[in-house]
Parts: sequence; C-alpha cells; structure tokens
Amino acid sequence: MLTVDFVNIGLNHYLILSAIVFVIGMLTVLLRRNLIVMLMGIELMLNAVNITFVAFSHYNQLVNGQVMVFFVMTIAAAEAGVGLAICVSIFKRFKEVNISLFENLRG
Amino acid sequence: MAGDSILFYALSFLIIYFALGVLMNPNPIKAAFNLVLAMVGVAGVFFHLQSGFLGGVQLAVYAGAVMVLFVMVLMIFDLKKERDAFSQGFLGNIGKLLAAGIVVSLVINNVILSSDLQLATSNAAKAESGRDTTKILADLIFTEYVFAFEVLGILLLLVAIGAVSISRIKGGTHADS
Repeated sequence: MLTVDFVNIGLNHYLILSAIVFVIGMLTVLLRRNLIVMLMGIELMLNAVNITFVAFSHYNQLVNGQVMVFFVMTIAAAEAGVGLAICVSIFKRFKEVNISLFENLRG
Repeated sequence: MAGDSILFYALSFLIIYFALGVLMNPNPIKAAFNLVLAMVGVAGVFFHLQSGFLGGVQLAVYAGAVMVLFVMVLMIFDLKKERDAFSQGFLGNIGKLLAAGIVVSLVINNVILSSDLQLATSNAAKAESGRDTTKILADLIFTEYVFAFEVLGILLLLVAIGAVSISRIKGGTHADS
C-alpha cells in the first residue's frame, strides 16, 4: 500500500530526507568539476548517512548508532583534511583545481 | 504533533534547499556557505531527534572546523568564477541524473513498502523522555568502543602529519613555481 502519512513524522520521513540529501551529494560529486566542490558533495553524503544513523538510533532507543555517527564525523574531518591537502598540492602544480586538467596526474 | 511535523518539514526544506545550492552554485565560495547552512539544518535535525550532543558536535566540527578549512583553502586559491563548473557531455549527464533518480526512487520505494519500518514508526514517539543521551553515549564510547576511540585518536594524529607533509611538497602554498 503506497500511502504516506504526511502528518505524523516517523522514521520513514527521516530516511526519505536522508536519501534525497545523499543523492544531491552524489550528483554534486558526479556533475561538478571543481575538486573542492566535489569534496563538499562527499560531506553532504556523509551527513545524509548520519541522519539515517541518528533516526534509527532514536526510533530503536539504542545509542550505539550515535557512537557510529561520532566516528563518522571524525573520519569525515580526517578525509576533508587530507583531501584539501591534496587539493593544495594539485593547485600548486596546475594552478587550477578543475578535474578536466588531471588527465596526466602523476609524480 | 503538528509542531513536530512543521519543524521537520521546515528543517528538511532548509537542508534540501541549501544542498541544491551546493550542487547548482557555480561560485565555490557560495557553495561552501550553502554547505554551512545545510550542516546547520542537519544539526537541527539531530536536536529534533533528541541527540543534543551530536547536534553540538555537528555544529562545532562540521559547521565550524571543517567548513573553515574549506573556506580557507578556497581563499588561498582565490577562485573567482569557474570557467566550466559542470561536467560536459549531454548523454553522460543524463545518465548521471538517471542513476541518481534510480537510487532515490529505489530507497523511497523500499522505505515506504517495508512493513517493519512502519511498525518501528508506530511504537516509537515516546522516545527517551528526560533521559540524558549524552551520558549513555559517553559510557558507550569509553567502555564498549574504547578501542575504536583510541584508534581514531591515532588516525587523527596520522592525518594531521600526512596533511602537512602532502601540502608541503615543493615548498608549501607560497612556492613560486
């Protein structure tokens, strides 16, 4: 039965919100060409997953999911740090952070 | 219940609007500010789901530290407006949009159709009334997940060293060549 309850907010609503945000992040990675904006898309995807974790943990009354969110946030911060460092080193080499120039990325 | 749903819809409108801003805005700095506002919306969702600690961490770590890092790198690069912000190729882009549509419709379809989730929805809502989740979270992190926590500490140290050493190759950001 394909009926959606629009008044009483439940787990499903959070999951759908998370799916939409995830897909927007995915499209950002796929469609944009600036390396930094692509990293922002990855952050959006990680946030969508975090919404899912917190929603499940809230509706199942378990806090373990929130521990995972804590870890995901740390990993995301680490990933942003390394990714931006790579961006800086790429920018020094090509004077540009547009991925269309990176056909010969070596050394 | 009405206030609850209004808050949820307002927050999700904010998040989706600013996420689309990240996707559509050709100026990377404006995209970064849109991302900050989307993060604040996600923090609002965390507060709404009664996990205040994570909401605070989200505000401090994402909307604070990570976004400052992004904006600072953008300022170093001094990118004004991009020449071609979006990838070219009509067919390829149609394929990417189709893939995204398939992913989101599969997820939504599964979520709506699955009866288990409906059950979980119906007996929820009483929630952890008055219970402080922060304390439980701290107990879990420092007992059951303490090994992962320590490993994360080592990871962060390695990342700090690695980020510095990667961006120091050939003389840092102010090298001439």
